[in-house]
Amino acid sequence: MHYPLKRLLVFPLVMFGVSVFVFIAIRMVPGDAITAMLGTESGLLTPAQREALRAYFGLDQNWIIQFWHWLTGVVQGDLGLSTTFGKPVLRVILTHFPLTLELAILSMLIALGIGLPAGIFAAMRKDSAADLAVRVIVMIGQSTPNFVVGLLLIFVLSVGFGILPQMGTFVPFSEDPLRNLGQMILPALTLGTAFAAAVIRISRSAMLDILCEDYIRTARSKGIPRRRVIWCHALPNALIPVVTLSGVEFGYLLGGAVLVEQIFALPGLGRVVLDAILQRDYALVQGSVLFIAFNFMVINLLVDLAYAALDPRIRLDSN
Amino acid sequence: MRRYALTIAIRKLFASLAAALVLCTGALMTPVSADTLMMAWSQDATGLDPHKQTAFSSIRLLELLYEPLVRLDPDADIVPAIAASWSFNDDATELTVTIDPDARFHDGSAVTSADVKASFERILNEETGAASRSNFTSIASIETPDATTVIFGLSEPNVPILTAMASINSAIVPAAAIAAGSLGSDVVGSGPFMLDGWNPNSNASLSPNPHWAGGVLAIDGLEISVLPDETAILAALRAGQVDFALINDPFVATLIPDVPGVQLIKKPVLSYHVLQLNPSRTPLTEMGVRQAISCAVDRQNILDTALLGEGTVTGPLTMDAYRTDVSELFCYERDLGKARSLLAEAGYPDGFSATIMAATGEPPTAAAEAQVIQSQLSEIGIDLEIEMKELNVYIDAWLSADFDMAVALNGGRPDPFTMYNRYWTRDGNLQKVANYIDDTLDRLMTQSREETDPVKRKEIFAKFDRHLAEVSPWVWLYTGYTYAAALDTVQGFEATPTGSLFGLSAVSIVE
Amino acid sequence: MTIIAILLVTAILAEFGLMPYDPLSQDRTARLQGPSAAHLFGTDLFGRDLLSRLMTGISQSLTVSFLAVGAAALAGTVMGLTAAWFGGLWDGTVMRVMDVLLAFPAILLALLIIAIFGPGGWTSILAIAIVYTPIFTRVVRGPALSLKHREFIDAARIFGSSRRYIMVWHLSLNLVAPLMVQVTLALAWALLTEAGLSFLGLGTQPPHASLGLMLADARNLMEIAPWLLLVPALALMLSVLGFNLLGDALRDLLDPRTRRTLA
Repeated sequence: MHYPLKRLLVFPLVMFGVSVFVFIAIRMVPGDAITAMLGTESGLLTPAQREALRAYFGLDQNWIIQFWHWLTGVVQGDLGLSTTFGKPVLRVILTHFPLTLELAILSMLIALGIGLPAGIFAAMRKDSAADLAVRVIVMIGQSTPNFVVGLLLIFVLSVGFGILPQMGTFVPFSEDPLRNLGQMILPALTLGTAFAAAVIRISRSAMLDILCEDYIRTARSKGIPRRRVIWCHALPNALIPVVTLSGVEFGYLLGGAVLVEQIFALPGLGRVVLDAILQRDYALVQGSVLFIAFNFMVINLLVDLAYAALDPRIRLDSN
Repeated sequence: MRRYALTIAIRKLFASLAAALVLCTGALMTPVSADTLMMAWSQDATGLDPHKQTAFSSIRLLELLYEPLVRLDPDADIVPAIAASWSFNDDATELTVTIDPDARFHDGSAVTSADVKASFERILNEETGAASRSNFTSIASIETPDATTVIFGLSEPNVPILTAMASINSAIVPAAAIAAGSLGSDVVGSGPFMLDGWNPNSNASLSPNPHWAGGVLAIDGLEISVLPDETAILAALRAGQVDFALINDPFVATLIPDVPGVQLIKKPVLSYHVLQLNPSRTPLTEMGVRQAISCAVDRQNILDTALLGEGTVTGPLTMDAYRTDVSELFCYERDLGKARSLLAEAGYPDGFSATIMAATGEPPTAAAEAQVIQSQLSEIGIDLEIEMKELNVYIDAWLSADFDMAVALNGGRPDPFTMYNRYWTRDGNLQKVANYIDDTLDRLMTQSREETDPVKRKEIFAKFDRHLAEVSPWVWLYTGYTYAAALDTVQGFEATPTGSLFGLSAVSIVE
Repeated sequence: MTIIAILLVTAILAEFGLMPYDPLSQDRTARLQGPSAAHLFGTDLFGRDLLSRLMTGISQSLTVSFLAVGAAALAGTVMGLTAAWFGGLWDGTVMRVMDVLLAFPAILLALLIIAIFGPGGWTSILAIAIVYTPIFTRVVRGPALSLKHREFIDAARIFGSSRRYIMVWHLSLNLVAPLMVQVTLALAWALLTEAGLSFLGLGTQPPHASLGLMLADARNLMEIAPWLLLVPALALMLSVLGFNLLGDALRDLLDPRTRRTLA
């Protein structure tokens, strides 16, 4: 397994690149934690007060020293202290991550639950009215931005039906599963729509491709029943691209869905990063971006491995 | 067109599916406790140190947890808090405060003069970085003859210092907490509530302070959740998931009276929407140009568009006790003819170009205000380019006076001196932002600081108000309302012009 | 195709000012009016004609998307081609940088870039371009790498064509197909991203209109004036749909694999 090994070697290099990039980028954003905290009142500070606050936020050291301190901490598993939360960055991330993870899992379940059957069904009845309908739905699903789906859902529910999505204090799944699902269903549906459309599209075209492959034709001509051919021969192979797609989409979702979290008032990772940028909470921005990038890369690596495992024809170590 | 219809059909399908799901889970939901008040707001506190946090959202949380020496009641009059009584000497150079002997911190220990002294010393210490320090620089000495008496010696007559002490930014904290350096993370105050848990930008849990000198609360606790989208807050109120909510967006507020079972509590605020001109930038250096802008602006129209009419046109002084009737102020009736002739006299008959800056989403009306002003000023040939800036960037530009014009929502104080001395005195901390000063303004401000007779102070401020509106360094527009929405079952909440939530200490829930 | 034609015509009409009303002029007497004969789609909070705003909005959204995708495609092609051609250290550096950019969630990367340079149309273009450059680099590098070793390139080398000529001519020709498909799909994505950024108040700035900004403005007025939300929402969906359909059609046309499937 030469290829994954190479990917593993590149991994720390890319993570280092991400660290440098985010460290510099957030410091290039104008304004600092002092104006973020005090607003226009910061104009009332005397120079000595300002210096004291700069020291408090660690803004008085030069970038290289700040970066070195942060990086040595990260290597030891210490992502620093969030200035807005007054807590370690890692703890802040870990309290908000379960929600993001749950949302990603729910969206994926919705997407696969709707997408796979619809895609396979459409492929088997290619060019029928049902196939056409599925394809139109796919196009529309893929063409509607998540936040528009969310807005329209709220709009139709509240204005059209007078029913309201469950909001209020977010309740973790472990505390009250039913209430939690009630809160998560709309955002998950919102994120799941576009995802489902993509799944339908990929599974349909993969299924079509495979149904035309020689080995399927051979199987059919040997007199193996159509149903058996589809379930035992075609489907497992058609799943490969679906796995890839789901993996990549899942990786994105773990990064937090900023807009959807905003609309549905969910305290997920996306909003943590957005608020951290607005509050100039440098350590929190750096830590959470690094965390998101790490997840994303791990998932991509897993997807590649799964890809290799599922499809013996692919030899990843060829190049 | 067929695709339109199909889209709608599909949305409807999804919607009804979701509706069914929501209904199912909704039916299974029961309130946590009948007497815990469920509350929502869209902006969370940004920190817990009462001396350092100046954001509205932080102050609103901290006012429930800490107490200053004195407080403002719903009519903006000064009433006792930790201080039971107070008095100035005749020339207003010494302030004696007697502490309420029943005042207790959350841990049950008494609030003593030593705590008061330590708190003010912390504020005055430059290393603390307390923005309210500038209000207290005239404190020359703090003496504590006994455990309940504090004497502030002042280096100059300073009557308004008492209103500055009513701010939560001059809260009294335990001397022990200052020594331990734990103010940013642990809350030990003397306010009506104690903080049991806080997840920033998510939720906070508060329970009654059993030792509170103000008495026993009628609710078992307060659960605050942060719902950044105010339409979501409205939804939560309708669904009965939230008992009480703060609303910032007037658009959302106007919808509340139509919601059955929900009451809207609104109160005019002290903070004011203003078009800040920068008199250090040509051609705004010319008084005629600034006055022309003041005459060309239709304040009521901006109010009607940006705030849906939810507010009152105002001059510089926004507090009821000192407000001047706007018909007496310079050019508060729109007069385009006068505007054009003023502009021509100043040497700009064809108008000019300038930029107008506004912060994204802060206040939510900023973009709308900038657009209406742009449209109105184009009628006298002033061509404005709107620059929307992210809040922190806007603040940096604002503090360094790096703008031609700015749309702003500036905070108000109950006392005109504390509100405006930072801008309109020669050595005001923010004079570099205001960039305009004349002898009349400076003299009137100094007089108001030294004058102890309330009637005479009122006359001084009336002159100040008229003069400021006439020289038009800024164009004052209007004040809005602070809104709270509550289910009809929530009773006893009184709003204050500063937007304080202290009224929650008197709230009860009736079934 | 029809959708795209309509979009383009709308945008061009808007650019030349052929609209029922000036999209910026406010009519104080006609605020928040529903659809009528005078104002086909009604008016907004400022009494501006929604149809006219929709037209400039489409024009603005398309301009941002076209410029951003154009820039990303150009940068990506240059990066991808040079990476494939020179290989070695340059290839490694370019691809690692692209990996770093790809490891960021798109919207967060865009948010950071906009936070640095301040919100506005040009910054959105820059942000979207940076987000999509790695994708184009990968799309170009892969085929370029495999083409590099094919016989006709070797043949061209033997016949003495200059390196630059080989690179530009042969490789580009064989890359046009996947690139074209990617460009149309990226246009759809760019429209979505622009809308998302404007929705957060970080894209196109008032008083100008873009589809995302119109949605953001309509959000709190949803219950008072639903048409303000529905009109731009549908316009946005149709625009993205148009580019998605075009992308699919192009792929079917240009990709030999799908052609076989269709046969």
